[in-house]
Parts: sequence; C-alpha cells; structure tokens
Amino acid sequence: MSALLELQGLNSFYGPVQVHFELSLEVRQGQIVCLLGGNASGKSTTMKSILGLQRPRSGSIRFDGADITGLPTPRIIRRGIGSVPEARRLFPAMTVRENLLMGAYARSDKPGIAADEARVLALFPRLAERLAQRAGTMSGGEQQMLAMARALMGRPKLICMDEPTMGLSPLFVDRVLELIQAINREGVTVFMVEQNASLALAIAHHGYVLQAGRIALQGAAGDLLQDHRIRDAYLGGAATG
Amino acid sequence: MSAWFDYTVNGFVIGNIYALLAVGLALIYGVANLVNFAHGSVYVVGAYIGWAAITHLGTPLPLTLLCVVVVCALVGVAIERIGLRALQGSSRIAPLLATIGIGLVLDQVVQLVWSPDPRAVPMQVPEWRIAIGGGTIGALDLLIAGIGCSSAAVLYGFLRFTKLGWAVRATAQDSDAAQQMGVDINRVNMAVFAIASVLSGISGLLVGMYYNQINPAMSFEATLKGIVALIIGGLGNVPGAIAGSLILGLTESYGIALFGTSYRNLFAFVLLVAMLLWRPNGLFAPRRAAAPEPMVGTFIARSLPVKLPRWVVPVVLLAAALLPLLNQPYLLQIGANSLMYAMLALSLTLVAGTVGQVSLGHAALLAIGGYASGLLALDAGWPVALAIPAAGLITAGLGTALVWPAFRLTGHYVSIATLGIGEIVSLVILNWTGLTRGAIGLGGIPPLELFGVDLGSVQGTYWLCLVVLVLLALLQLRLLSSHLGRTWRAIRDDSVAARSHGVGEDRYKALAFGYGGFAAGISGAITAHVYSYINHETFGASLSVLALTMVILGGMGNVLGAVLGATLLIALPEAFRALAEYRILIYGVVLLLLIRFRPQGLMGTV
Repeated sequence: MSALLELQGLNSFYGPVQVHFELSLEVRQGQIVCLLGGNASGKSTTMKSILGLQRPRSGSIRFDGADITGLPTPRIIRRGIGSVPEARRLFPAMTVRENLLMGAYARSDKPGIAADEARVLALFPRLAERLAQRAGTMSGGEQQMLAMARALMGRPKLICMDEPTMGLSPLFVDRVLELIQAINREGVTVFMVEQNASLALAIAHHGYVLQAGRIALQGAAGDLLQDHRIRDAYLGGAATG
Repeated sequence: MSAWFDYTVNGFVIGNIYALLAVGLALIYGVANLVNFAHGSVYVVGAYIGWAAITHLGTPLPLTLLCVVVVCALVGVAIERIGLRALQGSSRIAPLLATIGIGLVLDQVVQLVWSPDPRAVPMQVPEWRIAIGGGTIGALDLLIAGIGCSSAAVLYGFLRFTKLGWAVRATAQDSDAAQQMGVDINRVNMAVFAIASVLSGISGLLVGMYYNQINPAMSFEATLKGIVALIIGGLGNVPGAIAGSLILGLTESYGIALFGTSYRNLFAFVLLVAMLLWRPNGLFAPRRAAAPEPMVGTFIARSLPVKLPRWVVPVVLLAAALLPLLNQPYLLQIGANSLMYAMLALSLTLVAGTVGQVSLGHAALLAIGGYASGLLALDAGWPVALAIPAAGLITAGLGTALVWPAFRLTGHYVSIATLGIGEIVSLVILNWTGLTRGAIGLGGIPPLELFGVDLGSVQGTYWLCLVVLVLLALLQLRLLSSHLGRTWRAIRDDSVAARSHGVGEDRYKALAFGYGGFAAGISGAITAHVYSYINHETFGASLSVLALTMVILGGMGNVLGAVLGATLLIALPEAFRALAEYRILIYGVVLLLLIRFRPQGLMGTV
C-alpha cells in the first residue's frame, strides 16, 4: 500500500501565529484515516492546506504522486480530491439534484456523471426522494448526507471530511459513520478530521492525534483506542510535551 | 385617461432600461459581494460606442448592438481582471473604492475621446406609433421592452441550464464551497462582469435612442438608479432587481405626471432611503431576514500612523503662515483652496476613517453650510463673521439629523444611504425655490469680513482659512486622544463588542457626524463667501468622491493625513496646468493606485 496523500514538514501561520510545527502525516490508498485533536489544535488548518484554501509557509503536500502545494483549490479538486466541508456548506437555494451535479462540476463525461448519480442515489436512498427539494430546507442529517453524496459525484480518489458528525443527532451520527465505511468499501480513500475520537477511531484504520500544531500520537486505530494518552490528548492536553 | 396610459408605457420602458442596469449589479453583488460603482460608466461607454458605430460606420441596428456587446464585454473583463482581481483578500472597502476609481477613469476617457458635449443618437427604428385605448406605443418602446424581456429570458436560461450559469449561482450562494467543487471563482467573476457590462452598455445605447441624446455625465445617475432598483429588489436578487426596476420606472413616471420633471430623481432617492431604513433586504425578503450586511470584520485597511520628526509640523505651519509674504496671489489662491478642501477632508476623515462610516454624500454638508451662511447674510442680514459659525452649527444639526436614520446601517449600506441623502439635499435645494431660489442659485453673497475687517483679499482669505483649519485640526486631535476618540475607534473596529460594553452607538455616531458637519459646514460657508455665487450643483457628488480620495491618500482617520491629502490633490494638478483636462483622470488613477499599493495612505490610518 502506497501513500495517496503525504504531508511533509508543514509550517503554517495565521498572521504572526504559528499553527503547524513541522507537521507530517500520510494517508494510504484505500484506508480511512482520521485526524483527532481538540479546539485550536490545527485540524481545520490541515484540511484547508490540503484543499489549497490556506497556503503553508513551508513544507510540501503530495497527492497521487504529484506536488500540489500552493495550487489553486479548483485544480486540486480536479486532481481527484472531494471535499465535505465543515458545517456542510451546501448551496442552500439549489435543489438536491443541482447540488449533486455541482459535485460533478469538474467533470465533463456526461454518461459517467449519470451513472455516478444513480450509484450515489442507491447509496443515499433518502436523497432520491428529495431531488427537487431545496437543499437549505432539509434537516442537518440529510444535509450531511447530501454533502457526502455531492463530494462522491466528483468520483474522487480521496474524500476529505471536516467534522462530518458535528451537530448531528446520535441516530444520524451512526448512519453517517456507516456511510463513510460504505464509501470506503467502494474504493475511495477517506481522510477525516474529528473531535469525537472514539467514534472516529471505531471506523478508521489509522489515526493521528494533533496537539498544538504537532502530531502527538499516531498509530493503528485499534491501538489508539486502547491508549490511555488519547483521552488527555484529545481533551486538549493538560500535560505539556 | 390617455395621458395615464402614456405615463404607464413610459414608466415601463424606463423600468426596462433600469432593469438592464440593475440585473448586472445584482449578479456582481451576488458573486463578488460588491456594489459596482463603475456600472454607470460602462453604460456611458455602451452609449458612445453605439453612437460612434452609427455615425462613423453607419451600422444598422443589429450591428450596432453587436459592437456595443463586444466592446462592453471587453470593458467588463478588463474591470475585473485589471481593476479588481488583485484586491481579493484586502480590506472590504478596497474593491468598492476601486470601482469608484474605475468609474472616474472610464468617464474621463469617454470625455477625452468624444468631448463632454451632448451627442444626438440617430434613431434606428421606424418612427411609427400605434394607438391603443387612447394612448400610443412607439416602435422604440417595443424594441426596448423586447430587448429587456429577451435579455431576462437569455439570462434565466444561462443561469438555469448552462454549466457556467450553475457555477455563478453556486458562487453567489457559497463561494468557498463552490471552489471546493472545482469552480474557478476568477473565471466566474470575469464572466459575470462581462455579462453585467454588456447589459449595462445595451441599456446606455437604448437610453440614448429614447432621449435622443447622450453625454458622459449621465453615468453617475445611471449607477444611482441601478443601485436604487437593486436595493428595492434586494441586493444580489436577480428577479428582485427586475421587479425593483419596473417599480422604480413606474414610480418616476407617475411622479413626473403628478409633480413635474424636476421631482423625478427626488422620488428615486426618497424611495432608496426609505427602502434602506425599512426594508434593507428588499421587498421580497422576509422582514426578519439577517442583518443587512453580509460583510463582517474590518472595513478599512489598518496600519500604524507614520511618525514624523517633532520639528516637521511646526516648521510646515510656520512656512504656511509666512506664505502670503511672498506676494504671489496665484500661489495664495491655490493655498486658500487647499485649506478649504482640507477642512472638508478633516470632517470626512473623522466620519469615514475614525468611525468607519464611509460617506459618499459628504459634499451635501458643504452645500448646507454654504446655503446657510449665504442665506443668513443675504436674507437675514447677519454679519459674515456670525453667519459662518452659525452655518457650521446648522450643518452639524441638520447633517446629523439627516443621517440619523442611517446610523443602524453598516459597510456598503452606509455608503449607498449617504449617497442617496446627499442627492436628496441637492434636489431639495433645487426644488425649494422659496428658500433657496432654486435653479437660479444664490448670487451676490457678501465677501469674507471679520467685524469690519475686510478679508475678501486673497491674503485675508488665506489667513482666515489657515487659522480656522489649525483650530479645527487641534480640536479634532484633542477629541481623538480623548475617551470619545477611543469609543469611536471601538465602534469602527467591532461594533458588537462596543455595544456589549455599554456604548450607545447612535449617540457616538451622532457626535462624529455633528463635529464632521460643523467642520464641513464652515468649509462650505467660507467657500460660498469666497465664490459669491453658489447653486445646487456647486457641491456635487464628484466633490464627495474627491474628498474621499483625499482622505484615503492621507490615511483614513489621520488628521495630518487629511490636510496633506487635500493639499496634494488640489495643489499638484495646479503645478501641471498643462494637464488640466486630465485632472479628474489623474484623481481616478491616483485613487486606484493607492488602493492597490498603499491602502493605508501616505500617513497611515489611525
């Protein structure tokens, strides 16, 4: 198994404040990898860096064998990364179907798009009932599903999910986690950022714990689940160093 | 009844012309969160390209339209690519000011190429009219309605059924998310500017045919009318913009029928201000919709003020005081002019820079001050020395009362509201003949004098202005370093935080506008006595833009900067008199370069 996504020695800043310190991590082909950490640990910045929304001051990001550091977001997307943004960020005044087709914006193979639409709707039957509904009028859980379905429509090699369970009812949390596994079984690599460590590790293959801009811990998800330090780390880490 | 039919047709036709303008503004606002103040200038470009094609090339109507479409699309692309793209990520006010600068430049280029004189656009449609129910409809009416409706249909199809149209809608709803779907925002912006500019240009050509006359000065009114229609329909709402345009067109037409032509614009701007106050989200948004300002965070560029060595200000002041001894009347004239403008700049730098209320109607304060002092001296027989400070107080009171309703607005909305209020002031002066003598203007205003000492000479004027300016500047510096100054800056930087610390925002804004009104009123009053004649156009909207340019050049909120900015912008063009006709073009270019390369101004913002 080779690394599909590889971050090496990232140093990111917001103005004078350093967010990442020599951050390195890799996401292997076919896996679900989660990045855990408390508030202000640099999780979202990691996601923004991968998607080209925030440029690291130094370090490199490689995807699928090519350097994508500093590329504009649309070009990164076109290389095969799908994004499920934090708080979903649907197009609220567009219908469910229009949102799905926006997910395929970077593609031009009409038959392929149609096939993927059918495939995605089979995975998310709930959306099939609501194709003509405006996205902004759906419940939070449904919106999260639409955000995932929209990302799949680009037929990505890698899906990046920023806090996919945030703000959902427990019922939908389980459903979303199942769907992430289902997506992964179809061959899509998943990189997700989560605050809820135990849930994320339950479905992930590999995990990283980010603490104040540095990787504090990493390992196979099963091992991390057993690790007593994980609790300290993802609660914000009272312990220093 | 037949007259009413004709007024309705006329209102509908004008409404279609406004719709062509407003739809573009709505599209641009949607994707770029920007009110494009250069929109009317593109409209003028369209009108002149059409005129030039017909008169020089003898093109038939379809070819004329094609010329307008091609040139205006290119202008739109250039505005986005050259003027605005580099400003992404700078302070929120930067692109708005840039569009003002671009508008100035375009207007001046049109004037230089085709002269400021009005031109007649040859009619390219047959002159027949058909009679319906007592009224008539002409071929041109039908053409305008046809172009308006078909443009709307094409636009609908574009947004609904094309990939780029989808990208435009997605970008308008959430540009970050659109990027993460692979949408190239720059391309979307460019396309939208091209489309909006084409529609605006066609509108200009049609207006030229409708009134059979075009001139470069019509750009400002077009921008304003488009903005009014946009606000009626709700910022960024394309169907709303069309409805708003028809409402505006009909309101104006019926208004003319009831009250006469000179009231036409008054209707438009009263409608604008009323909408901003009661339905800032437009007629079609629910009343309880989110606060009317999508922009949060700092509106103006922030920096540290430039520190001057301690001796500079006293030395410059001494040199300024001794200038009359050189015995150069021409130089003194320029000096006095600069000083009068500096008072205006002081006022605006406080309101726009320190409190963050970027006013685009500041010249109206000059007009109030000028008329107040002139009328007190002429009609009430007050001595000039008393009339001028009284005018300052009147302007402070009246100016504050006029903008009071707009205090709850922020960002773009403040600029639009003050622009509207400024126009209303000028239109009231024009129409309140009993008090202001209307279009005739105020003549024979007595010259400056102070308790019997004649200051009408150039030296006298200069010294008076210098003393008044120094006093105002010292007062303003004192205010800025006080509790009051800190509270003003707090309101600018974070009004929510200021309010949560118990700051009554309105009171402090009123104090700022009060002081600003006083300084501007004095400036206007002195100007009136120096000119001895003023009318409703003496203090026009271009003066407001000039004042804003001075303030930005000096550094927003910076007292010394305001004086420096005014002096540079008034004195430098005099030094290059050969370039007199390029003067406003130079202002526009200076504004654009500043915004791009030194947004904090020469002296830095405070």
